[in-house]
Amino acid sequence: MSVHTALEAGRSTDARAPAPRGPRRRRRVRAVLEAYTMLAPSLVGFLLFLVAPIFGVLALSLFDWNLIGTPAFVGLANYRELAGDPEARRAIINTIYYVLLNIPAQTVLALLLAVALNRRLRGGKVLRLLYVLPWMAMPVALGIIWTWIFDPKYGAINKLLGLAGIDGPAWLSSTTWAMPVLASVNIWQYTGYTMLILLAGLQAIPRRLLEAAEIDGASATQRFFRITLPLLRPSMFFVLVTSTIGSFQMFDTVYVMTQGGPADSTETLNFHIYQQAFRLFRAGYASALAVVLFCLILLVTVAQYLYFRRRTIYDFS
Amino acid sequence: MKRTALYAVLLAGAVVSVAPYLMTLNSAFKHPRDVLTTSAWQPAAPATFENFSRVWSQYDMSGFLLHTLIYAGAVTAGQVVFSCMAAYAFARMEFPGRDLLFWCYLATMMVPQLVTMVPLFLIMREFGLIDTYVGLILPTFFGVPYGIFLVRQYFRTIPRDLEAAAQVDGAGTWTTLIRIMIPLSRPILATLAIITFIQTWNTLIWPLIITNSAHTQVLTVGIAALKGQFASQYHIILAAAALALLPLIAVFLLFQRHIVRSIALTGLK
Repeated sequence: MSVHTALEAGRSTDARAPAPRGPRRRRRVRAVLEAYTMLAPSLVGFLLFLVAPIFGVLALSLFDWNLIGTPAFVGLANYRELAGDPEARRAIINTIYYVLLNIPAQTVLALLLAVALNRRLRGGKVLRLLYVLPWMAMPVALGIIWTWIFDPKYGAINKLLGLAGIDGPAWLSSTTWAMPVLASVNIWQYTGYTMLILLAGLQAIPRRLLEAAEIDGASATQRFFRITLPLLRPSMFFVLVTSTIGSFQMFDTVYVMTQGGPADSTETLNFHIYQQAFRLFRAGYASALAVVLFCLILLVTVAQYLYFRRRTIYDFS
Repeated sequence: MKRTALYAVLLAGAVVSVAPYLMTLNSAFKHPRDVLTTSAWQPAAPATFENFSRVWSQYDMSGFLLHTLIYAGAVTAGQVVFSCMAAYAFARMEFPGRDLLFWCYLATMMVPQLVTMVPLFLIMREFGLIDTYVGLILPTFFGVPYGIFLVRQYFRTIPRDLEAAAQVDGAGTWTTLIRIMIPLSRPILATLAIITFIQTWNTLIWPLIITNSAHTQVLTVGIAALKGQFASQYHIILAAAALALLPLIAVFLLFQRHIVRSIALTGLK
């Protein structure tokens, strides 16, 4: 502290004129400058590569542009086209279908695993590690591996089904099965990750509450639904919000496994945007689609927030 | 009895979790013709490096690996340094607009990556950075909101007394950050580095959009192209997939305690 004041004093005599503001004010200005210097690189990145593109996409959605010529202002024409475009509607429905296939299955599976592992079993740590192993895999490599696993003739799934006397379908070339296959790859990849977060939430629940309920004669089912689940709400909220946002953004798996096919049955909104922007060079229309995707995610996130907010959150710390 | 059933279910889950990895590795070591004629779970006998050496010599695998390493390495280094600085400003320094700005950072986490891709591509084109490493690295180099959030939360758990003591001894802001905060935050910084490295290693969309030549092609783009070209030649593309996954598995197993703990922490915040 004393060093700072000494420095301040030295500075003000250097300036020769009497300081118009007190040294305290001056120190505050310097502290603010220092803070912004500290923040500067991240702020530049944030403004240039995140905030500017967000406003950019809003602006671009009002133009018709092939990325080369002069952009032409068209007002809301892109949105009007979007509203009547069966392909866009298809992509939105596909995306919602994918999210619905994904989230419930993944969350329920993860919850069951977390509850089982919360019993402090022997070997629990090893099991936990094995479950998280899929999480870090490169989705592009997984796309290759799962294409092979679901190969109608050479894949492990149909060979296993064959052993049971079942004739497996041509999964990825079936309009019925392609989307569930993509969802199953995602469920496989993220269930362990979700389980780990829920497990941490479970471990934070005080055991004495469950013991007290047991003494009062509550059955295991009652204890789970009346105590464990309500107390797990904060972790549940986090898991649902992040995994829903993540599923809305799925791209790599579609890109590698189906390219949106067969017959557009796996053409998700995200992949549709990519096609419009970087294959058909319709920057304006793709931007309008991107805005719709963002609004969709915002809507679902806010809905989840409202649902979780109106319930009490308990704090035992 | 009940316990046995529980173990059986948990074990089945673990098998499902690792089977795709094991089958891929196993098949990548098979003779090319055996990849199609034998089942995925039949062991590679005799094992051969033929697929790997073919992928390595005929396609630019070493190039893909090198480019990916440059990309992931640079982004990781940048993110760790700049996230520390930003996190320190948000956690400990007083300046007008701090909380509002931090809230803005968090809010952008909801914006899907692909939404910003078209304008981001145009910005890079304006700077003449298409198909360059700078263009590839820059958007995530200065830190992302998630990483800054992670480090800020950790910084806030460090007792203020330590910094106050250092400041009494004459340490300025930078000295405090470098000598006190960073050494005390090693676990979270290691976690940030590992997660950033893995995520950048795995990224497809941005490299796909911004790069277009052999000297910048990264693994994801390279093996996705291989898959398009050799859809049914599983011995080639499986070996390529195995090569892309092996470094990740190594990093993961090496740092598994960090990773498992950090994932567990993210939900409790």
